[in-house]
Amino acid sequence: MGGISLNYLLRRLLVFFLTLWVAATLIFIIPRLAPGDPIAAMVARLSYQAGFVENSGAIIEGWKERFGLNDPVYVQYFRYLGGLLQGDLGFSMARFPSTVTELVGRALPWTIGLVGVATAIFFVVGNLFGALLAWNKTPRLVKVLIPMSMIFTSIPPLLAGLLLSYTFAFLLGWFPQTYSYGFGMTPGLTLEFIANVIHHGFLPAMAIVIVTFGYWALGMRGMMVTIEGEDYMILAQAKGLKPFYVLYRYMIRNAILPQMTALAVSIGTLVNGVVLVEVIFNYNGMGTLIVTALREQDFGLIQGTSFILIVTSALAVLIIDLSYPLIDPRISLEGR
Amino acid sequence: MADDRKVKDAPVAGGTKKAGVLNRFDNPWLNWKFLAGTGILGILFFLIFLGYQLWDTNLALSARAPLNLPPLGFENWRGQTGIPEHPLGTENSGRDMLALWIVGTPRTIFVGVIAATVGMLAGIVLGFMAGFLGGVFDDVIRLAVDIAITIPSLLVLIVIQAVLGRVDLVTMALLISLFSWATPTRYIRAQVLSMRESGYVQMARLSGVPARDIMFKEIMPNLLPYLSASYIGNMQGAIISAVGLEVLGFGPQRIPSLGVAIFFSIEAGALFRNMWWWWGIPTVTLTVVFIALLLINLGLDEIANPRLRKAS
Amino acid sequence: MEKQMENGSDRVVLKVEKLRIHYATPQGDVIAVSDISFNLYEGETLGLVGESGCGKSTTAYGILQLVQPPGYIVNGSIEVDGTEVLNLSEEELRKFRWTGLSLIPQGAMNSLNPTMRVKDQIIDVIESHEGEKQSKEQLRDRIYGLFQNVGLPNRIYDMYPHELSGGMKQRVCIAMGVALNPTVVIADEATSALDVVVQRIVAQTLVKVKDEIGVSLIVIGHDMGLLAQIVDRIAVMYAGKMVEIAPVENIYAEPLHPYTRLLIDSIPSIKERKPLKITEGITHDPRNPPSGCIFRLRCPFAWEHCAEVEPAPIDADYKHEVACHLYDERFEERRANAFATFANP
Repeated sequence: MGGISLNYLLRRLLVFFLTLWVAATLIFIIPRLAPGDPIAAMVARLSYQAGFVENSGAIIEGWKERFGLNDPVYVQYFRYLGGLLQGDLGFSMARFPSTVTELVGRALPWTIGLVGVATAIFFVVGNLFGALLAWNKTPRLVKVLIPMSMIFTSIPPLLAGLLLSYTFAFLLGWFPQTYSYGFGMTPGLTLEFIANVIHHGFLPAMAIVIVTFGYWALGMRGMMVTIEGEDYMILAQAKGLKPFYVLYRYMIRNAILPQMTALAVSIGTLVNGVVLVEVIFNYNGMGTLIVTALREQDFGLIQGTSFILIVTSALAVLIIDLSYPLIDPRISLEGR
Repeated sequence: MADDRKVKDAPVAGGTKKAGVLNRFDNPWLNWKFLAGTGILGILFFLIFLGYQLWDTNLALSARAPLNLPPLGFENWRGQTGIPEHPLGTENSGRDMLALWIVGTPRTIFVGVIAATVGMLAGIVLGFMAGFLGGVFDDVIRLAVDIAITIPSLLVLIVIQAVLGRVDLVTMALLISLFSWATPTRYIRAQVLSMRESGYVQMARLSGVPARDIMFKEIMPNLLPYLSASYIGNMQGAIISAVGLEVLGFGPQRIPSLGVAIFFSIEAGALFRNMWWWWGIPTVTLTVVFIALLLINLGLDEIANPRLRKAS
Repeated sequence: MEKQMENGSDRVVLKVEKLRIHYATPQGDVIAVSDISFNLYEGETLGLVGESGCGKSTTAYGILQLVQPPGYIVNGSIEVDGTEVLNLSEEELRKFRWTGLSLIPQGAMNSLNPTMRVKDQIIDVIESHEGEKQSKEQLRDRIYGLFQNVGLPNRIYDMYPHELSGGMKQRVCIAMGVALNPTVVIADEATSALDVVVQRIVAQTLVKVKDEIGVSLIVIGHDMGLLAQIVDRIAVMYAGKMVEIAPVENIYAEPLHPYTRLLIDSIPSIKERKPLKITEGITHDPRNPPSGCIFRLRCPFAWEHCAEVEPAPIDADYKHEVACHLYDERFEERRANAFATFANP
């Protein structure tokens, strides 16, 4: 039993690679669709900020030569795709000796950690709350308290971040306002460092959780209501099974399947939110990196960071999609 | 014969009680969530309207007011207190926060409405094509939706804006709408598919009603509550994107919207200087707007899907 | 036809009295089941028939305490082996279920949990009533035994419901229904969604299992032809009332109640083509049933008395009751006249 049908696997892989290709192409084309010469404009802005404008023509030529911009567009395109395939994202323009890969490599784990923990929390809490909302054995008080806790559902994580940062970091001082760990901490697998990271990551993660879990609770409640009307629920009741067993083995088990699909669909939105939350908390992940790059007009870094975040999202979606047949026995049979 | 004994209250799990059963037969549009949501938005627009009548909106431009004043009744870090000329305080380039609120709030909602409308129209066309025509249309559109939903739109928008620089509101709205067609398309496709299989549409097909008439006369009216819920959801998404882009500094800067005000406040370190009114007023306003939209959305959901009403 | 003689026990295992079930609507309650009383004897198979909406399924679900809102039980008494089901606490009821009363649902459809293996759905009912003391091997052998009873191959033990055919799913439901040797089993349209051949096989399985285990069985259905071959007695329902309950040979040979006559006359036959006698469904508003007899609006023999007095069940024969004024001794003459004109129109 188990296993994933070939059709399903192929379709998911097709979507995955097409997503990467579309993203890479968009990132390649967009700067070239803009009016004027973006590289020239960027160099002009850079040099303006740096305070000298002489030699700008030579500088521009130098950049163009270095990035091969004098070649025909299709040559540039295939060279660019080839580079991506080898994991070469080019150089950061503002911090020249560093490659984009280096910078991204330092930022990405923090973002993945933040999103991963936040996702685990809101998915579990949201589905649990939703199940309790629909279950007929839930105490009345809980059924009143849960909707009240969902008041922030659907506001942007960014705004939740602002409110949390001001209240719990600035006013109350319970949590640090910025960064992923304290100054003077040496990163390592010490208990102290891990505690410090959790302390720093708590508010950013909460900013995502408090605006998101309600959405899952509502979805779960809707699924539970649908499932309560299914024939097998009546049989479960007739069988005299223990109520809690019916809740998790019959109701949640079946309701969680569409929730997994919904999780895959929501990854994109989630990443949007995380980027902005990082900015609010100056968290040293991909979001902050991309904003720094924006501020420094570092176009290579913007492209690279965006692309890697898109790859990460697509990978997350792929993993969820591929794990789906493992939890829904009906999928694995189709198209065998 | 046993005497008629009354059955105990609710011995059956699932309930034998009468109470709470009847209200779901009431008029579905008298849904408290829907009414509360529209009510909140109504009050908000009324206040903005009053503001335009009673307040000098030119004060939203920079250098029209003293800098960094707190709202009335508060004190800033320099020991200045709020003055009645600027009841909600001012920010560090001399904009009056009340004027900024009056001008900025509708601008933010405007972006959402434009982007959501354009995205929704595209979603309706694509969703109907995929669901109703099927075949190659369905395959291609489904693939495009899968891809578009996977890509975090903000990242592509950042790349676009990094090239374009700051843009006006309409351009921003149109850019956002490039990414707000996928979710409605996916949703409408699913609904159309399930309706296409339903008995009454099959009957219409068998009796030779043209496809166009089936789409617009049979399916569309039944989809309306779903479409409205989807539209509101799309609007939430569009405003979230707009605020996100503005907070990253891509919004119009001369006359700011709420997101741009937050951008300025973060840039100026308002969070650390306890100038809470600067970012707080836009944040709270947006929060209220989002809560109102959520309530409307939930209400529409319950109107469209009677089964949810029971559990609420 | 001879089965009834073999199973003629007089011990009552299920005693339903004055069971009344309503569905709440904003315009008032719909009376789905109206003060039904009947007995089920040990080892007996009782068929419950009637047109759609007559309340036969609601009666079954009422007995099982499974009426779904907005339906609710208004009054009544349901005794299984002397236990009053309606007085059980929630936990007592849970323990009573499946050991006292079990259900064979319309399993071909959606009655099995799609995310659980067949074995787990049978094991869960065993373990929640008998505790988790049995070893895996014991459980497996026990389930193999159940499979053998209903003619299922052992290989489906580890399968999921979607991997089974409709007939197999229905048999899994039968195996599950008798897993705990319940006192009474209720089969709700257990054969309706299957094709004709499978229907017959499943019906035979049902009879075989019932005879082997010796439970009492209530079969709900609308196929009078199929029911006639598997049940001992038939109870006919009309608009929430039980109008006649009789041994199966009586009801086919000489149906008493005018509604039963219509129903029997409507069974299609290959030998002769006859016009359908039942031309319309229940005609009255189920919220405001007519006074007196429930069937009088459609009854060809109704007279004033039927509108004034509700007919009480009259003993017509051994285990045979009919609720019709025509069988009241006072109106014997009227009955003779009525049937004479009805037979020769």
